[in-house]
Amino acid sequence: MCSVRTVVRGAAFAGAILFAAGASLAGDIKGKVSVQGLKSAENIAVYIDAIPDKKFDAPVAKPVMDQSKMTFTPHVMVVQAGTTVEFLNSDPVGHNVYWPSISGNKKLSHNLGTWPKGERKPFQFNDPGVVSLLCNVHPEMNGYIVVSPTPYFAVTDKSGNYEIKNAPPGKYTLKTWSEDGKVTMQAVEVAAGAVTVDLVVKK
Amino acid sequence: MDTCTTFPVKLLICVTSAVAVLAALLLVAPSGKAIPAFSRKYGTSCTTCHSNYPELNDFGEAFKKNGFKFPKDDETFVKQDPVLLGSKAQKEAFPGAVYPGEIPGTVPIAFRYSGTFAVNASQPSGVNQTNSYVPRTDLFEPNTFTIISAGSFGSNLSFWIDDDISTGGSGANGGLGDGYLKYNDLGRFFHLPTNSLNVRFGQFELDLPFTQARSIYLSDYDVYDQINVAGAAGTTSNPFVLGAPQRAIEFGGYPNNGNFTWSVAITNGANDGPALRGNKDVYLRASYKFNLERDPESRHAIQAAGPTGPRDHTSIRVGGFYYYGRNVQNIGATPPPYPGLGSFSEPFYRSGGDLRFKYRKLEVFALGMVGHDNNHTVATGEGGTQTLFKAPAVTYTGGFVGTNYWFYPWLIGTMRYDFVNSPTDFFNGMSKDRTRNRFSPGFQILVRANIKIVGEYSYTWQLPITDVRGNTTFYRPNTFLTGIDYVF
Repeated sequence: MCSVRTVVRGAAFAGAILFAAGASLAGDIKGKVSVQGLKSAENIAVYIDAIPDKKFDAPVAKPVMDQSKMTFTPHVMVVQAGTTVEFLNSDPVGHNVYWPSISGNKKLSHNLGTWPKGERKPFQFNDPGVVSLLCNVHPEMNGYIVVSPTPYFAVTDKSGNYEIKNAPPGKYTLKTWSEDGKVTMQAVEVAAGAVTVDLVVKK
Repeated sequence: MDTCTTFPVKLLICVTSAVAVLAALLLVAPSGKAIPAFSRKYGTSCTTCHSNYPELNDFGEAFKKNGFKFPKDDETFVKQDPVLLGSKAQKEAFPGAVYPGEIPGTVPIAFRYSGTFAVNASQPSGVNQTNSYVPRTDLFEPNTFTIISAGSFGSNLSFWIDDDISTGGSGANGGLGDGYLKYNDLGRFFHLPTNSLNVRFGQFELDLPFTQARSIYLSDYDVYDQINVAGAAGTTSNPFVLGAPQRAIEFGGYPNNGNFTWSVAITNGANDGPALRGNKDVYLRASYKFNLERDPESRHAIQAAGPTGPRDHTSIRVGGFYYYGRNVQNIGATPPPYPGLGSFSEPFYRSGGDLRFKYRKLEVFALGMVGHDNNHTVATGEGGTQTLFKAPAVTYTGGFVGTNYWFYPWLIGTMRYDFVNSPTDFFNGMSKDRTRNRFSPGFQILVRANIKIVGEYSYTWQLPITDVRGNTTFYRPNTFLTGIDYVF
């Protein structure tokens, strides 16, 4: 008769095999974003656009968008649809977070109100799009949350480099979003291993 | 002032003067100041401190009270590091070394321009000929360009300078408005609560219940500009104007989280001019703000936590003020007005109370005050002998009531009622009725945080006018002022 411990060990082993198999099939997309007419290639969101008939579970992790020294940190954050973002106020001054729309859809506008230093306020983003974060008493403050329909995304570094890990094999549309540039879309085919895709974002 | 001494022979002159004063009042543009230099220093918008510049919001008040510094963790917010005038470690070397200080990293200079144009009520035809002509419209006449500098010299010293580089427009007073140095939190040497004792000296607007120098309105508060002149009723001729900058030293503080404020100032009593007499005046002011926020955390924060963002606390502020001086007559002029007399003293006071209520987008305020000057008459006997007699005091009452409402963060409606009741002025023919009153509805549009379009209509009291035929008629010199105001 099997003990409970034996069953658990067996399940864990099977899970590990399945995970390894999946990982071996997944590929990475990396490359460099260059810009034309923009000041910098930093903080450009790169993500795989919606995959038809494919749904993803909402992630458990709750990334933090901080308001520190009167700036939103990070300036650009990409999350998967369904993610709960925690908004933190690290300043000793009162802040507010609101967004007038999500990708122009004003019905999705929201105002989170005010909360004191050190406290967080969660919000779940279920609708893909770009959320322009504002503070109504400090209009110079601005941050962005790009809600991606897939869990495959990245944000460029100062040099414009990005890397999307563990994308499953297949043909997808790679999409960019930047604060001042136009959206760039490019077809990409992912296989096992890494694929390099360089992108150009124009103003 | 002395042009009104012989009633009614010089009535015309008096009325002309009244028209000129009224015109100056109505055409005056605010010499209010917002400080883009702070925007640059902290990398933040005007709206951090102003809901409608130059009026301060709760955060701006706290910033000002803290010596032009953020109320908490100031250094972490400064985007332009100051230049140290000696390392901080030099404090230990004091008095063997100069105490270390600092200056702003970049020159903290800002500019403000305001230009309005006026649409004036048409004057009766006789008035046009007997008084200075006032055209129906006047484009951008009171253009005012102001240079402003303010900041801090280290942890406890702060400064402010504003100077109106006025170009013919009488909008600002012209010249230096406020220029002072302030030592913040002097009370720490006496183990007093934070900010309960500060000292500032220089030339500055007194701790008035409602600032005129940093008012959002196009016209002054009438009662602030009231001067007591007996004219034909006696000797009183007091140039003191409550709303004018004064040369003074002031002690004051704001303990209890800034809710209680007090100040005591010793002044020349000669407005922004040199002292006209040897004695000094004293000004006292105290106020208390009752914070009506229900949530304790919000109540104790710098700004209240509203459901859609920080806002000013719901509050009621009540206060009182008292100014006392002893005006001295018959000095300084050559020849003196009363050559047969020596100088003589005429004590005076100004006293009043004020109220301000803030609730969300609404602000309501009121002030009432009285002015009282001892007065004399001079009798000239045979041989030119002059004798001084006590006369009924020259008094006035007055005040204003107003409200502002933010329809949107960028659209503000304003309404004000000013009144001044001066029996002496009435006696001297300054107005048709004993009470001079004025309604001033207006609007302010923040085109940007630093640019606004303003408008204000003044429905004012009736002035008596003597026309070319010698008949006294009355008319209301109503005015609509509108224009643009920007700071950078």
